[in-house]
Amino acid sequence: MKLLTKITLTSTLSKLATVVLFIALLPFLINRVAFQSTNNLLKLQARKVMSNIKNNGIDYYLQGDSTYGSYTLLKDEYISLEKAKHIYTADTIQTAPRIIEGDTVQYRILNQAFEYNNHLYELEIGRSITSISQYNGPLQKIAFYVLGMLIMLTLLIELSLTRILLKPLQTIIQTKLINPVFPFKDAPAPIHTTTDDFQHLDATLISLMTRIKEDFDRERAFTSNASHELMTPISILQTKMENLLLLNNLDEAALGKIAEMMKTLNRLKKIVHSLLLISRIENAQYAKQDCMQPQQMMAEITEELLHRMEQRNIQLSVALQPSVTIINVNHDLLFQLFYNLINNAIRYNKNNGTIHISDALHTNGSYTVFIKDTGIGIEAADIATLFNRFQKKHTTEEGYGLGLSIVKSIADYHAVSLHIDSVPGTGTTISATFLPIFITHAHLSG
Amino acid sequence: MKVLIIEDERGMALEMEDFLLKAGYLCDLAFTARQARQQMEQGPYDFILLDLGLPDMDGLMVLEEAKKICREASYIILTARGKLEDRIKGLDLGADDYLPKPFSLLELQSRMQAISRRKSGLKDNLVLLGDFTINLSNRTALYGNTDVGLSKKEFDLLSYLLLNKNRPLTRMQLSEHIWGGLSDDDYDSNYIDVHIKNIRKKMTAYAPADWLQTIRGIGYKINL
Repeated sequence: MKLLTKITLTSTLSKLATVVLFIALLPFLINRVAFQSTNNLLKLQARKVMSNIKNNGIDYYLQGDSTYGSYTLLKDEYISLEKAKHIYTADTIQTAPRIIEGDTVQYRILNQAFEYNNHLYELEIGRSITSISQYNGPLQKIAFYVLGMLIMLTLLIELSLTRILLKPLQTIIQTKLINPVFPFKDAPAPIHTTTDDFQHLDATLISLMTRIKEDFDRERAFTSNASHELMTPISILQTKMENLLLLNNLDEAALGKIAEMMKTLNRLKKIVHSLLLISRIENAQYAKQDCMQPQQMMAEITEELLHRMEQRNIQLSVALQPSVTIINVNHDLLFQLFYNLINNAIRYNKNNGTIHISDALHTNGSYTVFIKDTGIGIEAADIATLFNRFQKKHTTEEGYGLGLSIVKSIADYHAVSLHIDSVPGTGTTISATFLPIFITHAHLSG
Repeated sequence: MKVLIIEDERGMALEMEDFLLKAGYLCDLAFTARQARQQMEQGPYDFILLDLGLPDMDGLMVLEEAKKICREASYIILTARGKLEDRIKGLDLGADDYLPKPFSLLELQSRMQAISRRKSGLKDNLVLLGDFTINLSNRTALYGNTDVGLSKKEFDLLSYLLLNKNRPLTRMQLSEHIWGGLSDDDYDSNYIDVHIKNIRKKMTAYAPADWLQTIRGIGYKINL
């Protein structure tokens, strides 16, 4: 998920949570405020009653009776005063129901006891709270609308501000992380920003990229130099040995030794060749402008390798679609790739075994070549290290363990994914899958 | 045939000279571009073998210059630089062939002969081999007028052995000639034996092929 999306989401969620909490707490808050002000009102009323009694005497209310009561027309307020034998309610303010003329109403009630002329009296003043709680619903609704609108507004502002703030990061990602295709052609340009963090990130990335480019250039130069420096002495040795072999007065033993030396030199030569090949592929020194038809290429390769199959009586069957063409690849490299794979399928096969080469055009447009052998197979644990350089499992076999490294380099260079499926003792299937962009199919292209 | 070897590695140049002298060529050596220019001005050459890695001048520039002085010569570029662009540029500048180092001297001679054949413009290039006739132009081995039916690889092998007749060729030299460009995993090529067996089988069906000798522990040789 993008940072901007995350920030927006977090901000929205936290705001929503706050608003929901506030709206949920709203009735409680309103009640608290309402009770507070009702309490004050009731206390004020009580003080007024007390001052009336003080100034005008208790009969101002009682007028000879033992009780007095009065309520307003809508019964939202009432007052009662009575003589009491003993105090059964302390001075309190509470919420309780009262029945007045048959109606049960919830009241906020103040009870106060006092002594007048050696008699105990109890004063009770009530104020209805139904009128208060009936506002809760509408208030919540209003709060919901107002806050919702505020959230939308702040979100819009935040979103555009964050977008502006994060723009340098976006530029860094675009220009430094996604777009540059390795190897980088030029040194990357610094971005313009006043945010220290981004400046730091950008500077670090630029220095990293510059270092990679330098290392890459150095490696390229090394490859070229190493190629020259190693190949020249090997050439001299080879030509000297060849001339030696042509001397007439050599006995069989000497000839044999020279042949052995040439064989060893050839091994050295092939190792250097292979390492240089891998290095050149990894340095992208091969153009990818050819197209190749798998069926045709397999025919060429199997012709090259036919004698090896004959020697071990290995049966080959090839079933490939003639309509498939792979484009924008390097023909020679792919030839090498499949040559090595098929060569392995022969080398690690059993005598009288079979090799089956088939393909599949997938619905998403990708294309896979399968090379299936009935060979000795590969242990599951060894598959992961199979493509490592100089990795040889079968030490009795000829080879120096670079064949599959070459395969891997070529595959990576062409974005081909390799998959190995193997049952030890039964056989191995190697599949090479090309991305849809490299595939044209005669029926599709007309 | 006169050959100018332009190569700054003396060891290499001397071995090439040694080999080509035995093969009947006349050789001159140049270790720098300056020496090469002097040599070229003195006399015409049939072949100029040019190493691209000269100390005093870029090899491709030497080639450009040489083409003006020795117009008639055939050029083979020898290089250990191994850059693909070099190969393409070299051939664009008019080189006749390109051999990456390290190369086999036998291969060098075979390329030189191929160029000579091409330039001589002979329609049929026939070589006698025992009771057989080898046509190097259309790549067939004939017994009388009958095609023996060698495969492409088999013919490659036979003609290479024939080209280097009376010399022992190791299996390695033979396999390098046939599968030279591929970096496969094998450094021991007993696969050559399969081809030789097939060649013998196909040819002895018509006439004895005892000119093709096996040299134990080394390889093969055509004795003529």
